Amino acid sequence: MADALTQLGFASWLSVLIASIIKVTLILVGGSVGMMFLTWYERRSISYMQDRRGPNRVGPQGLLQPISEAIKTMTKEDATPRDADKIVHFLAPVVMLGATVLSFAVIPWGRMFPVDLNAAVLFVIATGGLHSIGMMMAGWGSNNKFALLGGMRGVAQLISYEIPQVMAIIPVVLMTGSMSLQKIVEAQNDFAGLGWYVFSPVGLLGFALFFTASLAEGERTPFDIPEADSEIIAGYMTEYSGMKFAVFYLSNYMSNLAVCFVTATLYLGGGNGPGVDALGGIAGGLLSLVYFLLKSFALFFVMVLIRATVPRLRVDQLMSFAWKFLLPLVLVNILSASFWVALLRWDQQWPQLTEWFGAPSTADATNWGRLAIAIVLTLLINAGAVALIMRLTNRNVQKHLYTTDEELALGLS
Amino acid sequence: MTLSHLATEDVFVVERNDADFRAGQGMTKGLGIVFRKFRKALFGKPNSDRADTEGQFNVQYPEERLAMPEAYRNMPILLYDDATGHELCTSCFQCERICPPQVIHITQAKDPATGKPVPAAAKFVLEYDTCMSCGYCAEVCPFDAIKMDHDFELSTANHPELDVDYNRLLRPVSYYETIAPTMWSDVKEQAMKKLQNNIKRRPGDIGRDHGQKIKGGAPVAAAATPAAGAAPAAGAAKPRGPVAAIGKNMSEDKTAKLLAIRAANAAKRGGGAADAAPVAQAAPVAEAVAAAPAAASAAPTGPVAAIGQNMSEDKRAKLEAIRAAKRAERGE
Ligand code: SF4
Ligand code: SF4
Repeated sequence: MADALTQLGFASWLSVLIASIIKVTLILVGGSVGMMFLTWYERRSISYMQDRRGPNRVGPQGLLQPISEAIKTMTKEDATPRDADKIVHFLAPVVMLGATVLSFAVIPWGRMFPVDLNAAVLFVIATGGLHSIGMMMAGWGSNNKFALLGGMRGVAQLISYEIPQVMAIIPVVLMTGSMSLQKIVEAQNDFAGLGWYVFSPVGLLGFALFFTASLAEGERTPFDIPEADSEIIAGYMTEYSGMKFAVFYLSNYMSNLAVCFVTATLYLGGGNGPGVDALGGIAGGLLSLVYFLLKSFALFFVMVLIRATVPRLRVDQLMSFAWKFLLPLVLVNILSASFWVALLRWDQQWPQLTEWFGAPSTADATNWGRLAIAIVLTLLINAGAVALIMRLTNRNVQKHLYTTDEELALGLS
Repeated sequence: MTLSHLATEDVFVVERNDADFRAGQGMTKGLGIVFRKFRKALFGKPNSDRADTEGQFNVQYPEERLAMPEAYRNMPILLYDDATGHELCTSCFQCERICPPQVIHITQAKDPATGKPVPAAAKFVLEYDTCMSCGYCAEVCPFDAIKMDHDFELSTANHPELDVDYNRLLRPVSYYETIAPTMWSDVKEQAMKKLQNNIKRRPGDIGRDHGQKIKGGAPVAAAATPAAGAAPAAGAAKPRGPVAAIGKNMSEDKTAKLLAIRAANAAKRGGGAADAAPVAQAAPVAEAVAAAPAAASAAPTGPVAAIGQNMSEDKRAKLEAIRAAKRAERGE
């Protein structure tokens, strides 16, 4: 965009400035409008899951409900507790929202990339990690037991789940050979735009693991422990009201939206789909945007479905789920991703490996043959690992919660 | 986990499905159920059968309404006979005595000539704000004069309005028949018999003036409403014609319009070319004038509205004017 402006006769610094301002405005507007739509979408869909109708009065089908609520929150009193650490208390929502908005910078809107970082994946993870700082600031600054508990829980949860989340991305990075989201999207454009990673065994498992870990990152049910209303009021948000509360709310929904966007980009091919390349140009770009939004909102629907179904985990269950279930599977998935890459992309991605070890052993087979072998191999590894872990989890559950007949008979319980 | 301190029979062993892939199965099943609920609620037919467990149950309240069960009770109302206009209440004070929060206040009517009590109420005030809808009053009334209404949309910003007087408590029997047909038909015969007996003991207009005249037969009717005050012929109150129970859920505007239309129709039917002038005098309110030609006809069944409780003072005044005009016409 900056180049186009320079050609129009603007000074180069001015064109960069204008282009940046336009981009930032688009990101901010897109993020908050998306968040407004998201709250409506979540409430409507969860209502139907509970045999209700949800907000349908303000505007057509209740679409303007978020606006009326924004006005309501803005007119509420913005109270700060007397003993709060005023500065920290004030800065916490700012940090939260800032971190969220940052991650929107690298998200590809279909074929449109606001910023193409070569380490975009890392950037998304890093900005997600900033959340825990905001949470802790809110929890600490409020000078309230519930808020502090919520903040601590939040930080513990975020730190635990960041590990499986980051490691679930490694297979994607391996398979693409790049950390740029643009490259990752391009790599999923085979098979007429349907070569999404989720269709490979590695990508499928990675998708499931990453999405689960992201639920925990976004504090969605069943991982909404930092703000568990029935236990600790509203967790780290307990002492917030009015506009500051609204900012927390905004940042939560925006980060959920970002999670959906990132998952769609990493595993569901971003804006790729049948017909995008065929159309090309602006029409293709718009089609890819539609594909991208459809995928993201379908993912968000799954989030809502999970929220409507699953009760909240206990803190210890949350931790053991992260460390005993997700982490081993993620490691196995990295292993099978390595096999996948070794079989399919060895000679393309890492020519020096070919130099050292010679061409891959299946180099003489056609690409399809190698693909079949890779699929079977990774499928075996992943399915085996899932079966094993589930069996172990099963044992664990039984051992800890129930006494079996044999144990009773032997007097072992 | 040690359970050794428990006797073996105290330990309940939960039957579990021991399949290897059990972990996650329950969650998948749950997601399936919730998704099915979503689908049925979104695309299925709205649910009308309460035995069903799926589908859309919501009733979009102001637009859609559920039919009320006959025995539904909200606030008490008083009945009067359509044909004679006589109120069923004899002011026996049973309801006043039984009412737990004591919100019923009755003044017995007196014969102006002799000063003796008459089986009719002169004043009847019910505090709707404190009434707890227990229905004891309706239960105890020996004359089936007080009944429980179905109208629940009584909220108001004007608190004193909730001290409901005789005028606003009265509903024609035909109205009660529409909301609770079987309950009325059970008691109809005896109630009407008792009413006939009581009518014999009511001199003059006492018992059908709806608490508007208290002494001496002078019209005190709704003194707050100028139109009614100006109605010279109101004293000659004839039995009211069949009263149209206008839907109470209707807005005031609509009610007023509907009344005007009905009056106009009645006029056409009557074909009366009566003079509109006295009516205009009687009802100097603009709307009343508009409706006057209609009222002027000697329509024998001129519909009279059961005035909605939600109606504003203005509207009531206008309606009162129309009525007064009609009464005057018929009275001649
Ligand atoms: S409403 Fe019934 S119980 Fe009450 S005073 Fe009148 S007749 Fe008696
Ligand atoms: S319903 Fe109950 S509380 Fe209300 S007036 Fe009748 S007896 Fe009194």
